[in-house]
Amino acid sequence: MLTLLEQIDKGTLWHSPGGVHPPQLKSLSNQTASARIAPAKQYRIPLPQVGDCARLSVNVGDKVAQGQQLTEGEGFMYLPVHSPISGIVSNISLQHSNHASGLPVLTCIIESDGLNSQVDYQVSTLGELTNQQILDKTKQAGIAGLGGATFPSHIKLNPASEIDLVIINGVECEPYITSDDVLMRENAFEIFKGIQVINQLLSPQRIVVAIEDNKPEASSAMQQCLTQFDDLQSTVKITVIPTKYPSGGEKQLIQIITGREVPTGSIPAQQGIVVHNVGTAYAIQDAVLHGKPLIERLVTLTGEQVKQPGNYWLPIGTSVEHALEQVGFTAMDNQKVIIGGPMMGYALPEYNVPVLKGTNCILAPSANEIAPDVDEKACIRCGECAVACPALLLPQQLFWHAKAEEYDKAASFNLKDCIECGCCSFVCPSDIPLVEYYRIAKSALKNEAEEKQQAEQAKIRFEARLKRLEDEKLAREEKSRLAAEKRKASANSASNKSTVAEAMARVAAKKKAAEQEGHSKTAEAPSETGASNGKSAAVKAAIERAKAKKLANKSSETSDSTAAEENPQPVNDKKAQIAAAVARAKAKKLAANQSTDNSASVEENTAPVDDKKAQIAAAVARAKAKKLAKQNADAGIYSTTDSETVDSSTTEAAAEVSSNAEPVDDKKAKIAVAVARAKAKKLAKQNADDGIDSTTYTETVNSESVDSSTTDTAAIVSSTLEPVDDKKAKIAAAVARAKAKKLAKQNADADIDSTTDSETVDSESVDSSTTDTAALVSNTAEPVDDKKARIAAAVAKAKAKKLANQQKLSEKE
Amino acid sequence: MSSIAIAVVVLTLLALIFGLILGYASIKFKVEGNPIIDQVEALLPQTQCGQCGYPGCRPYAEAIANGDNINKCPPGGTATMEKLAGLMGVDPEPLNEVAQENVKKVAYIREDECIGCTKCIQACPVDAILGAGKLMHTVITKDCTGCDLCVEPCPVDCIDMIPVEQNLKNWDWKLASIPVTLIEPVPEKSTVTISVKQIDIAVKEDSQC
Repeated sequence: MLTLLEQIDKGTLWHSPGGVHPPQLKSLSNQTASARIAPAKQYRIPLPQVGDCARLSVNVGDKVAQGQQLTEGEGFMYLPVHSPISGIVSNISLQHSNHASGLPVLTCIIESDGLNSQVDYQVSTLGELTNQQILDKTKQAGIAGLGGATFPSHIKLNPASEIDLVIINGVECEPYITSDDVLMRENAFEIFKGIQVINQLLSPQRIVVAIEDNKPEASSAMQQCLTQFDDLQSTVKITVIPTKYPSGGEKQLIQIITGREVPTGSIPAQQGIVVHNVGTAYAIQDAVLHGKPLIERLVTLTGEQVKQPGNYWLPIGTSVEHALEQVGFTAMDNQKVIIGGPMMGYALPEYNVPVLKGTNCILAPSANEIAPDVDEKACIRCGECAVACPALLLPQQLFWHAKAEEYDKAASFNLKDCIECGCCSFVCPSDIPLVEYYRIAKSALKNEAEEKQQAEQAKIRFEARLKRLEDEKLAREEKSRLAAEKRKASANSASNKSTVAEAMARVAAKKKAAEQEGHSKTAEAPSETGASNGKSAAVKAAIERAKAKKLANKSSETSDSTAAEENPQPVNDKKAQIAAAVARAKAKKLAANQSTDNSASVEENTAPVDDKKAQIAAAVARAKAKKLAKQNADAGIYSTTDSETVDSSTTEAAAEVSSNAEPVDDKKAKIAVAVARAKAKKLAKQNADDGIDSTTYTETVNSESVDSSTTDTAAIVSSTLEPVDDKKAKIAAAVARAKAKKLAKQNADADIDSTTDSETVDSESVDSSTTDTAALVSNTAEPVDDKKARIAAAVAKAKAKKLANQQKLSEKE
Repeated sequence: MSSIAIAVVVLTLLALIFGLILGYASIKFKVEGNPIIDQVEALLPQTQCGQCGYPGCRPYAEAIANGDNINKCPPGGTATMEKLAGLMGVDPEPLNEVAQENVKKVAYIREDECIGCTKCIQACPVDAILGAGKLMHTVITKDCTGCDLCVEPCPVDCIDMIPVEQNLKNWDWKLASIPVTLIEPVPEKSTVTISVKQIDIAVKEDSQC
């Protein structure tokens, strides 16, 4: 029994299953020596050419030299991309890709400047480089497998396992393609140089150069050249193998040379075998010995539609269109341009795409070279495809399941081992494009697997999120617990703090008083202060509204306890300020809203004190009032009497509210009056609605008690604030009044079928109490500032007058 | 008489022995949780969209294990429903929602319109939205499951669901029949074949009826 190496030395070849013998048609392009075409003006470099994780390192407008690296990146599969020409980066955009889909990919377009300036290529000899340096150079040169798969070569040159056998693939079994053939004929020496590099890196026991027997010139050239390499004599063997398609496939070639089958799902390196293409060997020596990156390759331009078929050195990035033009391509009707051979290649949907590292052939066949697309007929289960399949699959079964879209069943018939060689389609008497079906099934399976993985990822993220939310909740609870403990602990020392706070408040009050003295001196006339307070009046009006709303909400829901909770607030000065700020913001918003109510106001709306605005507001109010009146009428006779009584009471409250603003700003007051009137109408309507509802008397009592307590609170708020700030006092007074008004409204809301006398009395009493509060407010303000007090008195007088007026007005209405 | 006694004793002993074996086995091979839930969950698409009425895929898997309908998962589509039917041994039933067009989508935030309210971040079940209060938000496309849950809470309607773009990685060879750019105008021949195919299909359908 001979060992494998002995058998290889003896030249034993094994049989590989399946395969077909399509017409070769290689003589079309291998009769002439390789040549170059006129350089193009523009080159397109797709950026993720091989591998991913690439980052562009040039910008539009940059000058690049030939061989300059265009991308940076890391990652297992990353390979750099280089500029094939010296020129200027004119554009970086999405361009059609050299792919069966033609889908756009990010492409760097370089305009040639014709200078041919190059980066410095570092020439070195094999002896002075370590293995790691060789690998780095290979990687930096962007060398990928040039047989067509474009797998990064440096990975295959640095396998994890021991390599016994290296096969240099010069088989080139596809019809038409002759680029490897011509390369071996012309550049055998360089190929052997590359083999030397591979030999040093992998140090295998044997290196087999496999060449099909339809390339006698190439094999003799290689044989001759081998004699020049003494160090390779003992390890390298040139083996001529019989012509059969697809002997050039990696797994098929291994089977022919060694008789071993590469198991499904494993790579040849696990068997101690590595296969490199002759073109790759050439590129490796170029990179390692001459420092030249992979920026051009030998491409077969062939087909009967090409006038000068042959092999041409095309820079990577040359447009297919340009290359074809240069060799006299004429397109016929329904012309197909195929990248790769006729068996495995794909037709381009778009010509203006770049030549890539894996583009070994551009085929422009005429109508009599390539069979026209014929309709697929039913499978007759002849079994020809199973005979032809080099991977020993069952193409019929695969087709059956792929067509029915039962992809998982197709997968169970080892679909992933299909090498898409096209033998089954070639032999099919029913013209079924079997490989197309397999490609669809494969891509579907791939996408399915990806989705599965994504679903797994989503599940992990979802669970992580749930855990995070749970943790946050626990942390919050813990925090609030700690805070509660701290509060308890600090409750004992609270008395100390309160004295400090009092002292602070006193200091602040003194300061404010001093300020106000100065202020009142400069603006003594009440009219002037009124003008300066014009804005604040507007704010006040808004605050009234805002607070009233809030109170309405609260009082309907809150019990005594919430009222009690409000008590600590007035102690906090800052909080009050914040509240005031919020109220001001609301007022602004309100003003904005009002202005949008009427489009005309937008043009002339300059200041809240504006006269026109007031008129507009009045108009709006009137409109609202009309509407309300209408609604009111609809509400029925039943409640008209009630609404009237409520009307009068609420108008009183409203009048009181507006009286506050009037002395300060007359126009604003008008607005307020209008608004108040509108509100009163609304109230009346609500009242009417409520009348139908039967609210229990106890509820009314409750709400009233709550209301009164809140009013008390408000009074306290204002009293505590006043000594600190006069303006604030005014606001507070306004708030108190607003609250009073709300109370009136509440009373009205809570009204049962008929408004009882006692309730009206209640609201009146509340009113009076609030006025008391206001009085209290002014009282507290007086000791702080005498002049202020006088002003306040004047204001109060004015208020009284206005009130009288208002009552008259309301009576009229 | 003694033979009956022996039989009774022997059977009692046997019963005791088997009882012990069974008792031991029930402790030793105790199954934690319901294994069917995991199997069901593995089939669900994990979009966590809540369209089934449960807060996530796992709760729905639990519900299915407890006998809920298997047709409540629109993102999974008919394929998932059929797999569930196979697993649970029930008859397949049509999806209760209008079957979604089976295009995978991801959320996209129009970033200049985003006001930074963080509402979508709170809605996202897989934490695939990145952003902070009053700062622009963006979607981590890779992690987006296309569940739609972020669209609703957005106060400024700046979230779109856009179909995942085809690229060279996820390209489906089916598209080969629809070239991106036609090299030549469509020849008459192919239109003829299409019509023939349509007739074929029509004939087939007729024969089935």
